[in-house]
Amino acid sequence: MPRGHIHPISSLIREANRIFFDMGFTFVDGPLVESEWYNFDALNVPKDHPARDAQDTFFMKDEPETVLRTHMSNMQVRYMEERVKKGIMPPYRIVYPGKVFRNEATDMTHEAEFFQLECLAVGEDITMAHMRFTIERLMKGMFKDVEIRFRPSYFPFTEPSVEVDMCVTGPDALEKLRDKWIELLGAGMVHPNVLKNAGVDPEKYQGFAFGMGLDRPAMLRWGIDDIRLMHSADLRFINQF
Amino acid sequence: MKISQNWLQIFFDVQLPDSQTLADALTFHAFEIESVEGDVLDVKVTPNRGHDALSHRGIAKEISAILNIPLKGDPLREPVSLEPKTDIVKVTIEDPKLCPRFTGAYIRGLKVEPSPEWLRARLEAVGQKSINNIVDATNYIMFDMGQPLHAFDVEKLGKKGESYAITVRLAKKGEKLIGLDDKEYRLTSSMLVIEDANAGNVVSIAGIKGGKPTGIDETTTDMFLEAANWNGVTIRKTSQALKLRTDASERFQQVISPELAARGIRAAVELILQIAGGELTGFIDEYPSSQKPRKVSISVEQVNAVLGTNLTKRNIAEVFDRLGFVYTCDEATPHRMFEVDVLFERLDLTIPEDLIEEIARIVGYDKIPAAPLPVFPKKPDVNANFYAAEKARENLIAKGYSEVFTSVFAEKGERAVANKVGGEKPYLRTTLVDGLREAHERNVRNKDLLGLKEIKIFEIGTVWNDGKEMMMLGTAEPAGVREEPLLPSGDTISRYEELPTSTTERYEPFSKYPFIVRDIAMWMPEDPDGVSKALAIFANEAGMLLRHVHLFDQFKKDGRASYAFRLVLQSFEKTLTDEEANAVMQHIYAAVKASGWEVR
Repeated sequence: MPRGHIHPISSLIREANRIFFDMGFTFVDGPLVESEWYNFDALNVPKDHPARDAQDTFFMKDEPETVLRTHMSNMQVRYMEERVKKGIMPPYRIVYPGKVFRNEATDMTHEAEFFQLECLAVGEDITMAHMRFTIERLMKGMFKDVEIRFRPSYFPFTEPSVEVDMCVTGPDALEKLRDKWIELLGAGMVHPNVLKNAGVDPEKYQGFAFGMGLDRPAMLRWGIDDIRLMHSADLRFINQF
Repeated sequence: MKISQNWLQIFFDVQLPDSQTLADALTFHAFEIESVEGDVLDVKVTPNRGHDALSHRGIAKEISAILNIPLKGDPLREPVSLEPKTDIVKVTIEDPKLCPRFTGAYIRGLKVEPSPEWLRARLEAVGQKSINNIVDATNYIMFDMGQPLHAFDVEKLGKKGESYAITVRLAKKGEKLIGLDDKEYRLTSSMLVIEDANAGNVVSIAGIKGGKPTGIDETTTDMFLEAANWNGVTIRKTSQALKLRTDASERFQQVISPELAARGIRAAVELILQIAGGELTGFIDEYPSSQKPRKVSISVEQVNAVLGTNLTKRNIAEVFDRLGFVYTCDEATPHRMFEVDVLFERLDLTIPEDLIEEIARIVGYDKIPAAPLPVFPKKPDVNANFYAAEKARENLIAKGYSEVFTSVFAEKGERAVANKVGGEKPYLRTTLVDGLREAHERNVRNKDLLGLKEIKIFEIGTVWNDGKEMMMLGTAEPAGVREEPLLPSGDTISRYEELPTSTTERYEPFSKYPFIVRDIAMWMPEDPDGVSKALAIFANEAGMLLRHVHLFDQFKKDGRASYAFRLVLQSFEKTLTDEEANAVMQHIYAAVKASGWEVR
């Protein structure tokens, strides 16, 4: 009997989890329907922040202050808080891929439902240099010959914050992407308020977090031209993997 | 925000490098650049820097720090006085939380005319239309320093005795204003307005849009100029509710320093007197509680502990100097602590980490090394849910099932989202079955194209049922569609299994057009290469239209072999017609016969 086919996103998650596991990261999962507290407030996103506007976020009907998670970052405070309650203090290392939602019309590069992967490392001595190493390790695992670079950016839940670009080099790169810089993910040092909100002392502990869409790396890796294929359940697409 | 290099140049004595160099400097040390067109950079200022960087002066300051070239002068660092004062316009602020500062200036005897060439050119370079010298002057100061202003024609305001009265208050339900854009805006009680208190009319939507009836026109000779400071949230909500975004509202909603208002009005008055003549009667300044100075401290050790760098005290001092920060560094303490006086416009700098970011970006993120994570003291846990999902995934794939993801949105369910674009399928699914059944039906239509005898798919996904969010495993195949809860593995597992990942190198786009199936059966002499010879004929004759071939029947009799093939024909460019498919088949029949074989 011929084998069936794994969805490219599942394949990427399997690959990423292997890389992270070897670096000491535990895979964790959490709810898709989430409180505004874990999705926004605990992450230092103020009540009046534009990201919380109705045109970006799905709000649940008749369930006050409840949303479909807009990113995987809701797991940051959820996980740390749960550990602290059990009396387990950092170091923490977790990775958490999953489906996230944006309230937007879909086109070739935008989907209302898509996949993200985020990771968090917190300890007494976790630095931005560790973050660079970890991102490089992940990207080299997924793309082989790849360079990354940081650019300044802004997110309410990290300080300093950076945008990370990737440049795929070498003969295996897609022709139209080879040696070009592509925006890949957002990253930064966890904002002290986020640690505080989880009950972790920011005077003693610090860490990094980075989050990336998975659809985009999959598109870059395999030369997929339309993000909607990922969620099409179309075997003309899936059976190529 | 559009930034003109010529305009930037006025802040410097030395010649600035070319726009691409400026664009790179900003990209790697401050802000993303959306585009560079000629001498105009489109700069995407991050939300945390809307306070200070939405102006040519703000970007000049960044360039100065990044490239280490001094500013000729910084209008925000020069002392400012709003003298002389006048009481000809009386300003009342009902709630200073919504309007922390209101400055004004009364100018008489000016002449409204077209702007001088230099002013017109500067505004046009950043995509602004020149209107007249007064309006242009207020716009110029906004794009130059970041302080929005608004000019009223005083003679169109209500006068009592020799004075005018302005009240800053929330709008009353039912109030309306015709804006300078000739549109009528209906106001609500959450919107902040400027009222002509003598006339009892709303004359401006605070910080967003002035009113047409009191606007400047060719006949204006006396004006009241306003430079105020507004509560960001109120401005943003009003701007959203009215669907009215202006350059002024964009700046106020990001919150700017009330200190800027005094600089803005002073500069605007000077420019107006210079290009429109007239005489300044005096200034008004309502500033109930002034902005408190703030200090933030950081040590050399803290900086390096966060960034993983080996920066020295000198490196950090140099960054602060380049940014124009005033600071002290206590040599005596072992921590080498810097204490920085935060510049009034830098409302973003509140905690030590903010200073670390300033240091990192000015030094350059390329200076952050890569360091392996320290060894984690214990082995990571294996997630029981993910382990179970991976195991189920591999089991099904081994049995010929392919994995799909379908939408979580459904036409019915227990829970729904309140604000879905278009309003379709607002419910969260209670089952995987419906989505899988629909996906199965769609794929069955492509069975021949896929070269599959039967379609078998599965999904591992979340459903919301019985008040719970849970993970289900669903399958769809000809025998039916079913699902069951995906239960976490009960075993104690120390490692994930080594499961295969996709080895595919490249995805090949497929045709979106319908396909046509044709069968062909033929007799040929027994020949071990018979099938490949037939395939070569099909490939040759059908060319790009041949999507798939499948040998579905064969037998041998009397030294001859019979083969039956199913051909799938499809175009990448259009829907193939029966006639076109028949024509392809005619070519194939002819080639088969020419090989001496017999079409059955």
